[in-house]
Formats: sequence, structure tokens, C-alpha cells
Amino acid sequence: MNLASPFAFSIYAIVFLSLLGLPIGHAMIGGSILYLLLVGQDMGIAAEQLLNGLYTSFVLLAVPLFILAAEFMNSGSITERLLRFCDAIVGRFRGGLAHVNVVQSIIFAGMSGSAIADAAGTGKMVQAMMTKDGRYPPAFAAALTAATAVIGPIIPPSIPIVIYALVSDTSIGYLFIGGIVPGVLIGLAQMGLIASIARRRNFPVEPPVPLRDLPRITLRAFPALMMPVVLLGGIYSGVTTPTEAAAVAAAYALAVSVILYRNLGWADIYRSLLVSARTTASIGMLIAGALVFNYVVTSENIPKALSLYLKAYEFSPLVFLIAVNVLLLVLGCLLEGTTILLIVIPVLIPTAEALGVDMVHFGIVVVINVMLGLVTPPYGLLLFVMTNITGVPLRDLVREVLPFLWVMIGALAAITLVPDLVLFLPKLMGYRGAP
Amino acid sequence: MHAFIDKAGPWLRRRAENVIVGLFAILFVAFLVQIVFRYLLNFPIGWTSELTIVCWLWLVLFGAAFVVRESEEIRFDLIYYAVGDRTRRVMALVTGFSLIGLYVVSLPAVWDYVTFMKVQKTAYLKIRFDILYSIYVVFVLAVLARYAWLVHQAIRGKAPAGFDAEKTGSGL
Repeated sequence: MNLASPFAFSIYAIVFLSLLGLPIGHAMIGGSILYLLLVGQDMGIAAEQLLNGLYTSFVLLAVPLFILAAEFMNSGSITERLLRFCDAIVGRFRGGLAHVNVVQSIIFAGMSGSAIADAAGTGKMVQAMMTKDGRYPPAFAAALTAATAVIGPIIPPSIPIVIYALVSDTSIGYLFIGGIVPGVLIGLAQMGLIASIARRRNFPVEPPVPLRDLPRITLRAFPALMMPVVLLGGIYSGVTTPTEAAAVAAAYALAVSVILYRNLGWADIYRSLLVSARTTASIGMLIAGALVFNYVVTSENIPKALSLYLKAYEFSPLVFLIAVNVLLLVLGCLLEGTTILLIVIPVLIPTAEALGVDMVHFGIVVVINVMLGLVTPPYGLLLFVMTNITGVPLRDLVREVLPFLWVMIGALAAITLVPDLVLFLPKLMGYRGAP
Repeated sequence: MHAFIDKAGPWLRRRAENVIVGLFAILFVAFLVQIVFRYLLNFPIGWTSELTIVCWLWLVLFGAAFVVRESEEIRFDLIYYAVGDRTRRVMALVTGFSLIGLYVVSLPAVWDYVTFMKVQKTAYLKIRFDILYSIYVVFVLAVLARYAWLVHQAIRGKAPAGFDAEKTGSGL
């Protein structure tokens, strides 16, 4: 590559401005304008790419709607009912509340598409339950909450999966269903680790909930438990598109909270809309920047060139996947995940396709990597959120989160090596796999 | 001047918040109307999906221009929040001037593109594209004003605010 080409200068500008703290969306738009200026193209192309890109990316509308659904869930008492339900099931084991933390994450993952929202919503509540009366060390509780929140976007619905579907042109429906087994697997791996830690550190047991109370508690949580069924049922029966399913999910959460549980007023609804709209605007900005920058990358033919270059080495798909895992885990320590999905992944996709990697398998592996990036220091958003909420120093949090990180990387390795862990369910639903 | 901004600022911010909440509410309701018409009444309508995408476009650009706070922006903050106030001020100056320069240079071309789009209309609602896309011009002007303000603050000796993870706009 020519180090003094317009493309190189555009990259320098983006990296330089981002390192100095300019919002990444603006850095990408700015760098792309510089590119257009240097090659003498019409700078209106930047506006054209951004506006037409946003105007035609219909699938992206799922993002604000999933955020909204999670907001409605968190504002109502749905969360509390679900926690009671989880406690009734796994509270009776040693380290009961720690297991509750995992199980609630798995269940909540079926309703929310955002790990940050999970950690700041239900995660915050379960963390507080764990540390009440000094039952669990605060650092352990906070680290566990960060680790379990990772499951949220691996199990559908999922904001990162929607973004991956956009950049890779893969079916959201198959990606969603492909995330279920890996998400549960990661949860089970965490529970295995908790079981061993709980014995060693002598964690408390919750007073067992009598089994005859179980039907009543389940019934109370039932409308909330039906949310994943409504969502996935709509998509797989073909009744709704994934984007419409996101709207239905938000409407369902709203209806359950307002009509059935009667604890969501106008002020809460306004606040939920505002919080979701804010998040939408700031992710939208990043997406807008990526749309413009993608024009530059595509007109320079970078992904194609990389794919030819790597193909010449005749990597096996497995070697490529392992290399991608390592690359993404390292990048995840430094970068925000959406940025990785929007900038790094489009460059890798042609190579993955050329090597015959299945795009659904690849997508889930990528999303798990990006989610693990949220708990890897020094830059891990979930770690920051938990330090903010609990006041536990980052150092202690990192120490407690590391064992969880290792078992999750173990699970990721299994998922990478055995594609059918991802592809089994999609194939049952008629997915034909890579051509 | 500053007293006026201090007073008018929060009021304007709340009105801007009203706007994006309104856009989001319309987007949400239009989706539900679309689903009801298509699946319950068996009568597909096209204008709802157009309305949702119009709201989305405006929500992102209007929101990014007037509602998203500096602390909510998605940025590479490993260095940004690790350095001292003085260094951060210098960084804010460099990025501010660069961004203003690039956006100003592109502004005439942006204007040409947006006004040129008057020749097209959207399929169902017949909105002229120059009106629909005019939000981008508004966005660029608002960003210029915002960065001019940030540069002004940095020169006067006020460093940009510190980091708050819970406020970050990441949807992950």
C-alpha cells in the first residue's frame, strides 16, 4: 500500500482524530471528506452516502426498537417478577444468588438486545441483592454481573447481531436463532465456575422456595417469560419481519407493564422514549460515519484486495477463524464494540466468504468476541458501568472478572471449533449453510 | 451573553428532547399501524414504512446535532480521559479546528447536493428530497456551532468534561 496515497492520509486523519478524542462518527466523516478532497471527487458524495445510507437501511430500525423494548422492561416491575422466578429455581443451590444472576441474564437476554442496558437495569438489582448484609464480596458480585450481562446480545434479540446482519447481508432470522445455543452454553460455563468458586469461598444458600409455590411465581412472571416467544415466534412463523418483531416486542413490553402490571405512567413512557432516542442518535452517528467511510474503503477495493492476499496463503477456515478471534479479542481490549463491527468486520467479510466460512457461524463468533470486549481491560464498557454503579475499584473488579473471562474464552473456543453448536438450530429451521 | 445562554440553553435542550421523543413516538406507532394493517386487516400500506424511515433519518441527525451530549458520544477515550486537563484542552483545540476546517470546506458541496435533490420526491408521502435531506445541512451547521463553542471553551481555559460510562451512547 502507498503510504502517501489519499487513502492513507484519510486513515491517518481518522486514527489521529479518534486518538485525540473526537467522536468516532465525526472522525470517519472528516477523514472521508479529506479523502474526497485529495482525490478531487465531489465532496457532496459524503452527504449522499450518509443520507442515502441511513434512508435505505431499513433493517437498522430494529436497533432503536430493541432499545425501547428493554427500556420499557426495566421501568416496569417485570424485572422484579423475573428475579423471584429465578430465585425459586436456582436460589436453593450453594452460591444461589450468583446462579440467579446467570439465569436472569439468560432469560433477560431473550427480551433485551443490549448488555449495557442489562447491567444497568436488572444487573444492578441482582448485584444489590447479592451484596445486601455482606453476603457476597462486592467485587465478586459486580464482576459476575458484568460477566453475565455479556450473554444478553448473544441470545436474540441482539443489537450487535442486527449491525452484523447489516454489514454482512446475512439473514437476521438465522443469526438470531444461531445465537441461542452459544448464549446458553456460555451461561452454563459460568454456572460451572460459580459452583466451584461457591464451594471454595463458602457462598451462602438462599432459603429454598417451596416447590408448591412455584406455579404461582411462574404465573406472576409468565407474561414476561412469553416475550421471547412473541418475538421469535413472530420472526420464524414469517408473520413479522425482524424489524417489525422489534416493534411488536416493544409494544408487548409496554402493554404488559401498563395494562397487566399497572406500573408505568406517562412520565415513565416519556423517559423511556427519550433514553432510547438519545442512544439511537449516538449509535446512528457512528453508523452514519461508517456509511461514509465504507464508500472510501470500497472505492479503494480494500476488502477484495485483502481477501486475495490472504487467499494466496491458503489458510484453512479454522486458522482464519482463530486468527479473527485473537485479533478481535485484542481489539476488544482497546475499542468500543460497535466500532469494531462497523469498521473491522466489513474488511474481513470477503476473506471469510472466500475461505468458505459460514456467515452465520462467523457472525456469532464475531458477536461473542465483541461482547467479551466489553469485559476485557483496559477498555471494557461493562467494567466501567459496574464500577460506576457499585463504587468497586476497577482493579478489584478486573481481578474477579478474569476467571469468568477465561471460561467464556473456553466456550468461545468450543463454539469456534464446532460450527454446529451455532448452526444446529438454524439448520433445523431450514438454513442451508454456506454455498 | 453567557447569562442568556445559561438560561435559554436548558429550555432549548428540553424542546429539542421533545422533538426526538416525538419522532421516536411517531416511528413506533407507524410500525404498529403497519403491522395491524398488513396482518390483521390484510391491507398492506406503504406510507407507514416510509414514515418510519423518515423519522429514523431525522431522529439520528437532529438528535446528534441538538440532543446528544459530549459525554454520550462514542469515542476512543482510553487516552482522552487519562490525560490531564491541560493536555485535553490542547486535544480539544486540535480536533475542533480540524473538524471545523473539514466540515466548512465540504459545506458548499453539501449544499449543492441537498438542493439538487429537489428533483426527486419520496414514493408515498411525496416529500421533496431536498426538504427531507435539509436536516443534514442543519446538522452540519449545528456541529460547526458546537465545535466552535468547544474550541472557545478550550481557549478560555475550560477542559472538556470527564468520563461517565453509564452515559455512553453505546447500544451494546
